[in-house]
Amino acid sequence: MLETIAQYAFNGLVFGANYALIGIGLTLIFGVMNLANFAHGQFYMLGGFLAYMLVVKLGVNYFAALPLAVLAVAALGWLLERTVFIRLRDRSPMTGVLATIGLAILLESGALLTWGPQPESIPNPLSPMPIEIGPLFITPMRLFVLGVTVVFLLGLYAFMNHTRTGTAMRATFQNRDAAALVGVDIDRLYAVTFALGAGLAALAGVLLGSLFLVHPTMGDSATLKAFIVVILGGLGSVIGSAVGGLILGMAESFGTMVSSAWKDAIGFILVIVILLYRPDGLFRR
Amino acid sequence: MKQQRKSAIAILVGAAALALSTLSSAQATRIGAVYPLTGGVSYDGITKLNGAKLAVDEINAKGGVLGRPIELLSEDGACNPAQSVASAEKLITQSKVVALLGAICSSATGAIGETIKKYKIPLISGVSTAERLTEQNNPYFFRATTTTTLNGKSMGETLSKIANGKRVAFIVTSDDWGRSAAQSYGDSLKARGAEIVATEYFDRAETDFAAMLTKIRAAKPDAIISTGGFQNAANVTKQARQMGLQQVIIGEGAFTSEAYNKLVDPFTDNVFGIIEWVSVIDSAQNRKFIDDYKAKYKEIPTKFSVAGYQTVYILAQAIQRAGSTDGEKIAAALKATNYDGLTGNYRFDDKGQAYNFNMYIVANVNKGQNQVREVVKIGKQ
Repeated sequence: MLETIAQYAFNGLVFGANYALIGIGLTLIFGVMNLANFAHGQFYMLGGFLAYMLVVKLGVNYFAALPLAVLAVAALGWLLERTVFIRLRDRSPMTGVLATIGLAILLESGALLTWGPQPESIPNPLSPMPIEIGPLFITPMRLFVLGVTVVFLLGLYAFMNHTRTGTAMRATFQNRDAAALVGVDIDRLYAVTFALGAGLAALAGVLLGSLFLVHPTMGDSATLKAFIVVILGGLGSVIGSAVGGLILGMAESFGTMVSSAWKDAIGFILVIVILLYRPDGLFRR
Repeated sequence: MKQQRKSAIAILVGAAALALSTLSSAQATRIGAVYPLTGGVSYDGITKLNGAKLAVDEINAKGGVLGRPIELLSEDGACNPAQSVASAEKLITQSKVVALLGAICSSATGAIGETIKKYKIPLISGVSTAERLTEQNNPYFFRATTTTTLNGKSMGETLSKIANGKRVAFIVTSDDWGRSAAQSYGDSLKARGAEIVATEYFDRAETDFAAMLTKIRAAKPDAIISTGGFQNAANVTKQARQMGLQQVIIGEGAFTSEAYNKLVDPFTDNVFGIIEWVSVIDSAQNRKFIDDYKAKYKEIPTKFSVAGYQTVYILAQAIQRAGSTDGEKIAAALKATNYDGLTGNYRFDDKGQAYNFNMYIVANVNKGQNQVREVVKIGKQ
């Protein structure tokens, strides 16, 4: 029994860390720009497919393809903010939501046309054979995914708390007008935030894409999971999303002990409970 | 003047061409296909249409049916019930087809059921396996493939031999398909002394099976039975092996297919696929089909191409027997089907369910080489 619990905990940790990455990207965009990004999962999908393209079609080394794919999606995010979302900034929030839903459909259908409906795997140099550590079966890829995710989460924490841009983001979270008054360049900050959010989603996509497979419709469930994480943690709270991601990952993993058919329902049940007792999420901003 | 004459000739030629084309289409016997040609299942739909076109070409080269060529018209159903009904209506009312083929996804096929009843037009499905389709007392519906329940009834002996032990675990999709697989294979194995030690259900969008496989590992099975398309099948197999589960995996769906083997490499072996058709079936008819298909489309056929190909033949023979293009007469003639296809002999029972044909249990050997391990004849339900 103990060995099984250790395996569940490790699986939950890998997934929780990844949900945190996706969720933080979404919460940053929501907190700073007041925009619910329904195309978030499509950035996740694009990250995976770009890495696949770079490795398989262009022969780029896997470890070089990973940052390249993430940077490319971040650049796309920056471009989209400067061309599309900048025009919707002072419209009603619904306009922004509709634009992101449109963007999601565009990106997903574009991926279907470009890459076809077949799932693909991203070849990587890590051994597919599992390492046995006591009762645990761990593949090198899962360890790599966990390691990269944890490094990024710590880096992100340092960025938010110890850099000017991070401080400006937190200020804009609290009060956009006041932040602008004290000299925060809102235009630049919005573009940086959207690029960062998209990049984080892409990173999660590359990592999980290498662990499993990439396919054009993988973004839909990622968007849903990201919203669950953000609602759990509290809209706009970075720490909240990190904790929310971990809770969701663990709950899904251990929930399987009871019934695997309920796995996807667990996240939503958690959301309902949280909304009933703490309508602002676990971590109010 | 010269100019005028030229345009007069052009008009005459145009009119003649138009008359000819309407003449030839009036002569041809039109049949319609509602397959998903866009969306997530489009690859299956397109390969099925390719198979159907190949059969139409072959039949027309031998003089068609009732002395007239067959014309195959296709409309996109997108695996969507509403769109499939609209496409079926269009083919029946505007293109005047005498029979339909379709629609791959069971929900879409089921939706067309009412349409074909209304217009009294027969429909043959070569892929949709949902149980209920043949339980709706629809005299115009015919299914030229198996159902998971029929598999379970006919395969018990073979499965318990391959399972290599008495403890069996299921990891299946949490829909009709997976649940009826767990039920019918489970019952069939239990009747032969097996014990079901774990049953896990997953959503088709699921990618991570680590938690479910951890639970299965704790149950210590001798064999794992699964259902799933490429993505689920590949992820389940790969992760099972990576969790240290080296047992026999028996899968219905995409298991042991070429695309699957590419994705699960290097974990291809000790996997068995329950499948409708496989390229290594050793018969002259099958080899000729593969050669002709490759020559025409420059790719290898799939089981969907085979379904498209065989359903066209079943339909063409029924029209010939009926001696008429009347929907009711074709439906009556379909009941008397006795077609020797690539995958055995097809007959229909009173509900329009096919029987007497073969299902194949394919083993992966030597890093993903397919080998037919068992041929199971599907009995009458």
